[in-house]
Amino acid sequence: MIEAFRVGAVSRGRTLWEGVDLAAGTGELWVVAGPPSSGKTLLLHILRGERRPDSGDVVVDGESLYRGSPEHNRRFRALSGVVPELLPAEPGKTLEEMFLLSALALGGVTDEERRARMGDLLSLVGLTGAENVVVSSLSVSERARAALAVELFRSPRVLFLDMFLAHAGREWADRMGALLRALAREEKTILMMERRFPDEWQAQIASSSLSAGPFTLYRVAAPPRAPKEKERQSQAPPVSGTAEG
Amino acid sequence: MSVPSLWWIDWSLHGGPMRRETAGRFLLCFLAALYFLAMLLSGGVNRFLSGQYTISAILHVGVPDEEGTGIAGKVAALPPVREAQYRDPEQAWAEFLAAYPGLELLRGEGENPLPGYVEVRLRPGWMSDEGIAVVRSALEPVSQVEKILTGGDVMQNLLRMKRWANALLWAGFVLVCVVFLAFLVMQEKARATRLLPEVSFLASRGVPEGQIASSRTAGAVVAGGFVALLATGLACAALFLAARHLPLVRVTVGSAEELLDAGILLPSCLFLLCAVMLQGLTSLSGWRATFPKGR
Repeated sequence: MIEAFRVGAVSRGRTLWEGVDLAAGTGELWVVAGPPSSGKTLLLHILRGERRPDSGDVVVDGESLYRGSPEHNRRFRALSGVVPELLPAEPGKTLEEMFLLSALALGGVTDEERRARMGDLLSLVGLTGAENVVVSSLSVSERARAALAVELFRSPRVLFLDMFLAHAGREWADRMGALLRALAREEKTILMMERRFPDEWQAQIASSSLSAGPFTLYRVAAPPRAPKEKERQSQAPPVSGTAEG
Repeated sequence: MSVPSLWWIDWSLHGGPMRRETAGRFLLCFLAALYFLAMLLSGGVNRFLSGQYTISAILHVGVPDEEGTGIAGKVAALPPVREAQYRDPEQAWAEFLAAYPGLELLRGEGENPLPGYVEVRLRPGWMSDEGIAVVRSALEPVSQVEKILTGGDVMQNLLRMKRWANALLWAGFVLVCVVFLAFLVMQEKARATRLLPEVSFLASRGVPEGQIASSRTAGAVVAGGFVALLATGLACAALFLAARHLPLVRVTVGSAEELLDAGILLPSCLFLLCAVMLQGLTSLSGWRATFPKGR
C-alpha cells in the first residue's frame, strides 16, 4: 500500500503543488493525469522514494519512505520498477545489455534464464527478436515498450510508468492496457503518470475520478483473477508473461 | 550456466573497452615485472662488475700448489665469494706473457720468477667495500699470502660509480611503477565514469552503491591478480630464454637457474601482491572519485 499524505513540491523557487493525497493499494492500477510541466515526473520520484517532498510524507506498508529507515526506502526501490519517460540510451547500447543490467539488479539470474525471459518479455511488448537492436535506433514507441519489458524482467511489486501510454502510441493503448491490467490482477500496484487519461480506457474506469492538486486520479479496474482450474484449462502462460488481446 | 555478477559488471557491460584496457595494463605490468626481475637478478650493474672485477692474493714464491689450492678452497667458502681459483706459477707466467708478449727473456735459464696467486670473484650482491673487506680480512693473516690486490683508489671510484648507476637503474624502475600507477588511476577513473548510467540505473532499483563498489573492487583484485600473474610469468619466461640464448644477458643479468632462488622468488611474490593490491585500490579510488560517499 502506497500512501501520499498532503505531499507538496517546490521546483525552481515556486510551489508546484501541495496537499496532494493518494492511496494506491495492492493490485490497483492508477492513472495520474496532469497538464505539461505540472510535476508528474517529480511526483513519481517522490512516490518512489527518490526525492524527498517539500511537505507531507509518503508511507509504504506503514513506514515512511523519508522518515523511516533508509533500508526500508532501498527495499521499496528494489521491489518497485520504473519506466522512465525516455529509456536512456548510450551510443551502441543494445536491448540485451539493458536486460543484463536488469538481471544484475535482480541478481542470481543465469544467462539461460535471462535470455529466455528476455525473449518472452520482448514478444509481450511487440518487439520479438529485438534483443540485439541498439536502443538509440528504436522509435519512441518501441523504446517505451522496451523500457517496460526491461522493468518487468525483475517482476516488480510496484510499477511506476512515466508518460508510457503517450509514448507507446494509441495503437498500443489497448494491448498495453490489457497487459497492465493483467499485472494488476497479479497483485502488482501500478501508477501511471500521463498527460491525460486515454480515451480507449474510459470504459475501464473503476470509480469516479479524484482531484489532487493539478492532477486528476483515475483508478482503472482490473478484471477479477480467473479461478485456477480455468487458468489450467485455457493453458495460459504465467500472468506476468501474458498480454490480453 | 553462468550468473552475471556485480563483480564483473565492467566486463559484462563494457567488454570491448575492458579488453583493450587490460591489454595495455598487461603490457605495462609485464614491463615492470621484467625490469624488476632483471634488477633482482643483476643487482643493477653489480653482476656485470663482479664478472669483471677480481681480488688477487699473491702468494710467496715457493708456496706449494696444494697449499695454494687449499687457500683458494677456504676463500671460496666465504659468503661474499662467488668463485676462488688458484693459479699456479706456470699459469701466472703464461698469463703474463699473454699480457706482455716478448718478455720471455725475463725467465732466461733460471726458474719462473712469478709466484702463484688466488683469483677471487665476488658475488654480485657483495660488490661493495664490505665484501672486499671480508675477503681482505680473511686473507691477511694467511702467512703464505704476500700481497692482496683489490684495486686501491680506482676501486673506490668504481664502487661510487656503481652506487650511482644502481640508484639510476632503480629510479628507472620507480618511474615505470609510477607510470603504471598513473595508468591504473586514469583507467579506473574512466571505467567508473563510463559506468555512471548503469550505476544510476542499479541504485535507482535498490542496489546499494556500496555493494557495487565492493563487488567491483573484488573483481578488480581477481582480474588484476590474473594480469599480474600472467605478466610476471611471461617476464620470467622471457628472462629465462634470453639468459639461455644471449651471452650478454647472462653476463649482465644472470643465469636463468637463479630465478628459482628464494632471494628472487620472495621479492617476486611481493611484487605480485603489490600489483594486485594496487589494482584493487585504484579501482576503489576511481569509484570514490566518481561516486563520492553521501552524494
